[in-house]
Order: sequence, then C-alpha cells, then structure tokens
Amino acid sequence: MITNPTKPLSQPVDLFYLTSKNAWLLWCCQLLNLSTLLLEISTWMIAVIALCLCWQALLLHNRLNTNKKHSKVNISVKQQMAISSMLLMFIAVSGCIAIAISARSLGVLVSMLHLLTFAYTLKAFEIKKRKDFYQLFLLGLFLLASALIFKQTLAFSLLIVFFLIINLTILHRVFSPTKTLLLASKTVCILLLQSALLAVTLFIVFPRLSPFWQVPSVNSAKIGLSDEVSPGDIASLALSSDLAFRVDFKREQIPDYSTLYWRAMTLENFDGKKWTRAKDDINKTLSQVTSPNVIFEPETSGLSILYDVTVEPSYQPWLFGLAVATSNDARVALMSDYTIQSRNVLSQITHYQVKSYLHSSLDLTINEVDKQRNLSIVKGSNPRLEKLAAKLIKQYVDPIDRAQAVLETFRESHYFYTLQPPKLLNNSLDQFYFDTKSGFCVHYASSFTYLMRAAGIPARVVTGYLGGEYNNVNAAALSQQNGQQGGHLSIYQYDAHAWSEIWLHGIGWKKIDPTAAVDPQRVESGWSNTLVTQQLSMNNGFIGLYQFKRISWINELRLQLDALDYQWTRWVLGFSSKQQYDLLKRLFGKQMPWKIAGIVAIALISSMALVTLFYRFNMKIFKRKNVTPWFSLYQKALKILATKGLHKPVNMTAFDFSMLVTARLPQISKEFLDFTLTFEQLNYRKLSDLERELHLSRLKKQYKGITANLS
Amino acid sequence: MNIFRTIKQASQKVINKRFDHWLSRRMPSRFQQKLSNRNIFILPTRFGFTYLFFDILLFLLGTNYQNNIILLLSYLLASLFITVMMHSFYNFSQLTFSSKAKQTGFAKQVLNYPITITGHKIHFDINFIFSESQHFLKVVKLAQCDTDTIEILLPWYAKQRGVYSLGRVKVFSEYSLGLFITWSLLDFSHQAIVFPQPKRLTDNQQFLTGLDESNGASMQATVGGEDYSELKNYVLGESQARIAWKQLARGQGKLSKNYQAQQGSLLWLKFSNMPSSDIETKLQFLCFLILEYSHNKQCFGLVLDLPPSITNSTKNSTLIKIEPNSGYQHQQSCLIALAKVTD
Repeated sequence: MITNPTKPLSQPVDLFYLTSKNAWLLWCCQLLNLSTLLLEISTWMIAVIALCLCWQALLLHNRLNTNKKHSKVNISVKQQMAISSMLLMFIAVSGCIAIAISARSLGVLVSMLHLLTFAYTLKAFEIKKRKDFYQLFLLGLFLLASALIFKQTLAFSLLIVFFLIINLTILHRVFSPTKTLLLASKTVCILLLQSALLAVTLFIVFPRLSPFWQVPSVNSAKIGLSDEVSPGDIASLALSSDLAFRVDFKREQIPDYSTLYWRAMTLENFDGKKWTRAKDDINKTLSQVTSPNVIFEPETSGLSILYDVTVEPSYQPWLFGLAVATSNDARVALMSDYTIQSRNVLSQITHYQVKSYLHSSLDLTINEVDKQRNLSIVKGSNPRLEKLAAKLIKQYVDPIDRAQAVLETFRESHYFYTLQPPKLLNNSLDQFYFDTKSGFCVHYASSFTYLMRAAGIPARVVTGYLGGEYNNVNAAALSQQNGQQGGHLSIYQYDAHAWSEIWLHGIGWKKIDPTAAVDPQRVESGWSNTLVTQQLSMNNGFIGLYQFKRISWINELRLQLDALDYQWTRWVLGFSSKQQYDLLKRLFGKQMPWKIAGIVAIALISSMALVTLFYRFNMKIFKRKNVTPWFSLYQKALKILATKGLHKPVNMTAFDFSMLVTARLPQISKEFLDFTLTFEQLNYRKLSDLERELHLSRLKKQYKGITANLS
Repeated sequence: MNIFRTIKQASQKVINKRFDHWLSRRMPSRFQQKLSNRNIFILPTRFGFTYLFFDILLFLLGTNYQNNIILLLSYLLASLFITVMMHSFYNFSQLTFSSKAKQTGFAKQVLNYPITITGHKIHFDINFIFSESQHFLKVVKLAQCDTDTIEILLPWYAKQRGVYSLGRVKVFSEYSLGLFITWSLLDFSHQAIVFPQPKRLTDNQQFLTGLDESNGASMQATVGGEDYSELKNYVLGESQARIAWKQLARGQGKLSKNYQAQQGSLLWLKFSNMPSSDIETKLQFLCFLILEYSHNKQCFGLVLDLPPSITNSTKNSTLIKIEPNSGYQHQQSCLIALAKVTD
C-alpha cells in the first residue's frame, strides 16, 4: 500500500506538439501553398519568404536532433526559440513597413497578398497552441483561394485541389496520429468526394450574387491587340501561343478558314508612323459603351449564323465577331464601325453570343466627315507612294481596279511575308513598298491602305484575328449521335492579323487582305512552314504551339486537353447568373426560391445518406476482412447446432460449450471436442504459417465429420 | 448587481438540475454503455465556427471577384463541414465502455478508474475525463481503438477524505478535422471512498494515546514464552509463532497459544484517544495506526466515539465499533469506516 501521497498530476495547458514528421510535412505544405502565388508577389518578398522557410527548416532540423539526444539540451533550444521570437517580432514589423511603403506601386490587391503570404510564413514560427495551428491552416486555405483570383485554368484548379488535399491531410493527421500518411490522405480524399455532391449542387443552384462591394482589381498588363498599331507590332503577338478566345458554332456549318476574319477594331487615323482609332470614334464609343441607351443598330440582311464566343481575360474591352456582328447580350455594345465591345474591361473569362450576317454590307452610305477621315494622309510623308497613287488614279477609273493593281504588285513583284522584316526608318512605308519588300501583315495592310487613300479611295486598317484551330474532340461523340457538325474553334494570339477595308460605292466597306496576295497559305489554312521556323528561332528555340502540331500523337493529346479546357471554361468558369437562370428554368420550370431551397435540402440529405451508406458498406468490408476463416467455420458449426436446439451462451467459453455438446449430443461428442480444440489452437495460439495451414485443413475435416454425424 | 448574480446562479442551478434529470432519464447509470444516437452529442468546435466564418469570407471573395472557382471552393469546404460532421458521429458511435464502479484510496492521492473500451471498427482520437473534473487532471487520450478490448485508467484526484460519487465520465472525440466535437456523458456510478491521509504519530503522541503500554504488554507476553493462558484450535492464517509445537509433537493436533495479555487488553484504537482536537487530524492518526497495525499483522479493534456535533441531527454521540480482528478485509472495513465519518 502506498502511503506516500502522490502529487497531483501537472497539466500542460493545451500545449500542442507536432511530431517531427508532421512538422516537416507542414513545412512542405507551406512551401507548396506559397508557390501558387509565386508569380504574383515581388522578388524581395519571395527572398524574405525563402529565408524564413530556410530558417524554419533549420529549426526543425535542430529540434529533431535534440529530441534524439537528452532533454538537457531542450533548455538551450528553448532559449534559442525565445531569441527567435524577439527576432520574429522585428522581422514582422519591418516586413509590414516594407509592404506599406511599396503598397502604392504594388496596388491594393497585391500588397494584401504580400501581407497574407508574409503572415503565413511567420505564423509557422510560433505554433505553441492548437489555436495557432488552426490559424495557420486557415491562412493556408485562404492563400490557395487567392491564388485562384489570378489563374483559373483546369490544370491550375486541379493543382489547387491537390494542395487542398495535402493541407487537409496534415490537419487530419493531428487527430489520427496512428494512420499512415497514405491512409490519411485517402481518408481526406473520401471526405472531399463525399462532399462533392452537395458542392456541385450548390454551385449549380445557389444564386449567383452580384458583387457586394468594389474590390481591388487585378492589375495585369493588357494582353492581345492594342489600339495603336505600327508596322511590326503584330509580329510580336505572333510569338505568343496563348489562347485569345474560343468560338462555338454549335451545330451550324463552320465557315471556311479564309472567311474567318474576327474583327476587333478599325483604325482610321494615321499620323505617318502608326495607326490609331479615330478620336471622335473613341468619344463616341465611350458614350456608347457606358450608356446602353445610345444604340447603334447595324443594318442587316441575308442569312445569319449564330455562335458563342468565350474570351480569355485580356484586360481590354475588345470583343470579336465576324462582320456584321450583332448581339442581344446587354454587356455587348455594338459600335458604329461594326465592331463590338464589352461594356467592361475583360478581367475574367467572358462568354457572349453573337449573330453574324455574313453577307450583309457595311455602311452603304458614308458621311462626309468619315469619308474625309478615311482619305486623309500626311502629305509628303511617303512621297513615292503618293506618286504611285497618282499614277493609279490616271491608269484605272474603277476603284476596284486600282486596288486589284496594288494587290497584283504584291503578288508578282517578289514580296516576302516574314516575321523578321528588316527595320524601317521612321516606319517609312515607301521604304517597305519599294525597297525592302518584306514584312508582316501590318506592313502590307498599312501600305495598301495608305496607297488606297492616296488614290482617292476611303480606306482603313482593321485589326483582329484570322482563322482559328478547329477542335472536333467534343464534337466526335455529338456528331455520331446527331450527324451534325460540332466542336469549337480556338483562336490563339499568333492568329492576330491586320487587313484593310476600302469603301466602295454601292458595296460599302469591303474587306481586302493584302496578305492573301503575298502569302495565300496564311489566309487559307494558317501559317506556312517558313513562318513556323521563324517563330521557333525568334522564341529562342522555345517550343511554340505550332511545333506540337507536327507530331500527331502529341497534337491529338493537345487537342483533347484543349477540348477539356474548353468544357471547363464553358461550364465552370463561364457559368454566369444568366446561364444559371436558363439552366434552372429548363430543368425545373419557373424559378422559385423554395424550389432552390428544396434542391439544396435534397442534396444535403442525400449526401448525408451517402456518408451513412458508405459507412455501412465499409463496416461490412471491415467485418469480412477481420473474420478469420476458422472463426467463420466455428460460427457455421454453431449455427448448425442452433438448429438442433443448442445455443451457445455468449459468456461461455468454447471448451465449456463442447462439454455441453458432449452431454446433449453424444453422437458428435468426440468430433466436436476435437473441433473445438483445433479451433482454440488456431484462435489463441501463435502459430507459424505452416502449422496454421495444417490446423485449418484439420478443422475443415472435423467440421465435415460433425455435419456428417449430425445428419 | 448582486441580485442579478443570484438570479443567474439560481437559474443556472435550475437548468443544470433539469439537464441532469434529463440525462439520468436518457442515459441511466449502467456498468456497460454503448454509444449510439441516443447518447451522443455533437456540436461544432470553436475551430468549426471559425472555419465556417472563413468559408463565408471565401464566398464573399468569390462573389466580389465573380470568380466561379473560388465559389466552388467555398461550396466544397461548406459541404466538407457537413461530411465531417457525419464522419465524426460514425467514428464515435458503436463504442462500448465498461467500468468498475468503486475505488478506494487515500486523500491527496490519484485514484485510477479502469475503463475498458471495445470498438466496433477502428475508432480514432477518443478522450476521457470526469465531467465534473478538476482542471489540473490530464485528459486521457486514446489515439486508436480497434475491435479488441483496450483498458485505460481514468485518474481522479482525491482531495479530501470522504465518500464521493464522481458523476459522469465525459468521453469525447474531435476526430476527422477537429471541426466537430462529439461527446457523451456516461454514468458508471463511479464512487470514490477516500480514506484520510495517514499521519504519523510521534513517540510522545503515541504515549498519549495510551497504546504504548498495551503494546509493551503484548510484546512482553510474546517474549514470555510459555505463559499462554489457553490453547485454541489453530485457525488458518494465524501466526506460525503461536502454534503450540509441543502439543503438535504430542499428537494433540494443531493448536495455537493464546496469551493473557492479548486477551485482556485487546487493542482498541479509540477515536477519542487520539492526541488532537481536530476531528480530521484524529482520523488521520487513526488511519496511520490502522495501517501500521495491519502491517504488523496485529489484531485490533476500532472505536469511533464521535462527539455530538452541531450538524448531526442526533444530539447523542454516535458510536461505531468494529470488533478486533486482523487481515486485509478488516483493514479495509476500518478504513471505510474512517472515510464515512461525517462531521
């Protein structure tokens, strides 16, 4: 008997320890989480974060070593940690000051991100209580979510989900330290999969709300076409393999490649160096864009074609359509030059529907101001072209003939279509037309337009995209069902193009592409091999999209991925409140709040039922796995005896029961005793594999003996 | 202010009483208890609420940026909350607990109550604590529990002498992600009988008790050898030294010698003889003596002649007498008597 009273147990007040494996895992997880924002945060911040992470790793390493040694060392480690907490304070304060100073140049959103990542990195140094760990976890999730502001492609989203799994796994391991890492992550995956049903339902039916307040926007560089073009500009776009937009013609016949001129804007002002949009055009568009009351109604006639366009964020307002484009979408403004614009800058993936009247004419009449603007040239800037124009006027009466003559020159006199044109002095069109004779689309379009203007024909430069890659992966299944064409066109940045429009009496604005005269392949099917090799060499050997097209299986894979990405963009990223409304209306008829509530409730209940079912199912498997063959055989024997009226009480041992059997059923007394003994051997003794086999076969034989004797 | 506080306390008392009543009806005291939806409570933890708040933040972020992926993420995390709730529940249900009701020990000692746990499948993160527990006691943690039976020891710190019923055992788990806490309050009718903390008597004090002489006498008698007064049939368990070997050798059977001194001045440990004015201290001395005598395998009796106290309803002094005996059983009954003394 202990007479010495033991002291009350001292309770560590909610101290929290991560095992060294978990701590390292957390470190890796932090690294991954931070890496998602790598492109958004500035270099100095990355350096600070990297330093902090290295320090953290060092501390972890030390902790591991001291844990291996005696606890005496712990004191010194604690002191080290104490010093580091002072330092931490200093770093935190100075970091915040640095962020505050650079806030103006960074912009609100990015400086907020800096603060977030900085806090996330530093928080890891002081995980003392469970609360701290929880905070770190939530910060990590927020980091992942904010990374999605900048990038939303399918691949990136999957990556974020993968990181989410890692985050949750670490959290899960705190509550199940006995599980292996793999098992823990499996559990987390199961949890997420079981949540997916409700999440998707919520995504589909939960009302899309409009923004509650103005948020700092993503300060990104403008992508794609610019509203100022000088010769050589588009060539730089030609190096980019980024997606510009996608077009889905649904089930309609896709027009020929050579007619796919996606107009973005018309450039009517030329100052001798560069083409810009007309000033009053800009003013006009501003009013047109901002107030939906100013409506320009393009005159349309003839057959129309309906298609969906999904534009990647370009941080510019241009939208793309085939002339003459009209749209019922409230966000789309129809401009007087027959282009279309978004009422907001495109900062995210935007989806709109366009109806194009391909054979309708543009501006059958032209007012004097417009006419004068489209005839104006800076006199004397390109004297040789002016002289040529004068000659053309004399030579040809019909304006079409004048244009044809110029195109004929391009076709016949060894002009060269190239991504790497020689430099022009002062962007001199003279020099290009008469001397260098090699250039990209803007060179041809501007010199042609200039020449036309000088020759008395109203002309303007139009920029946009030409062509597009047809992807029928999605359509393959569809067309088998319906026998209709489907699929979509993907238009990349390298499809950017510039061409001319001349105004002809009775016809209106007529599209003329001088490029077609120089490099017919570009207009008919896309880039020629020479252009592709040029792109390759200019990208310093970096493999462009066009190279992939050479290898068929890679191209096949690429098209598959593109199709998948399109579906993702279309149905997930582009799932707007309008689409939601349409879908719900189609599925459930007239929309009512209680219907939505009902759907959510049903999803909730069914997902809960799903978990229950899963649990039941798992239990069955678990039981089956855990029952040994000898036990199941013994149970079987018990069942047979139960039919004879002999029930084994739960608290009776197997041996005692065999005695009972001996007394009550003497015909199997010996067999059952042997059976019981073998069973007990198997169940309670530690046997080698071989012995177990032997015993098991004996048990089976004895079982047969029992059944035989009973019947 | 004061009135307010008393009202609050009173209402709390009423609520607690109601709750206890409800609990005892819903989850009556049993030796063995199985967790099911009848006796499991489940609520989000603080972290769970923070998580939800954070999820709403994500929703706002997604809405303000009109970002479908962030919205999807927030929906996913919201439904994860529900899924985790289900998993928390299923991790906890179907567990079976059984426990021994009574434990004895000395004051200022930790009593350990064994609880056996049988799982239904693999259960994780199961914690135990007495619901009316002292804050300094550690929560007993069981990281994993399989279908085998596992025994844990649930500590309870005995602060003072007395007989206590320990109330319910709180079994809880935050398994899965710590978003929910599932718990149950199980009533095993745990009882603690806490003996006084033994207090050593100094030599002077020993003299005061008047035990010294009788002790000496018995010693003398033992030393005195043959001066035994009578022979009795030997009872199994009696000291070998008292066997009358001569008689045994003569073939008269096993007899034991009984001495006059022992017979005459039987050892009575008397409450009133204890050299202290404080009841508790007296009991502590008694406890020490009981242990000491038992250790020396001596026979003794216990007399608790408690003075009439104000709190006692009976004005007469109470008297508890335990006849002289020896052995573990006797010791225990003496100690229990000490524990049960009410002031």
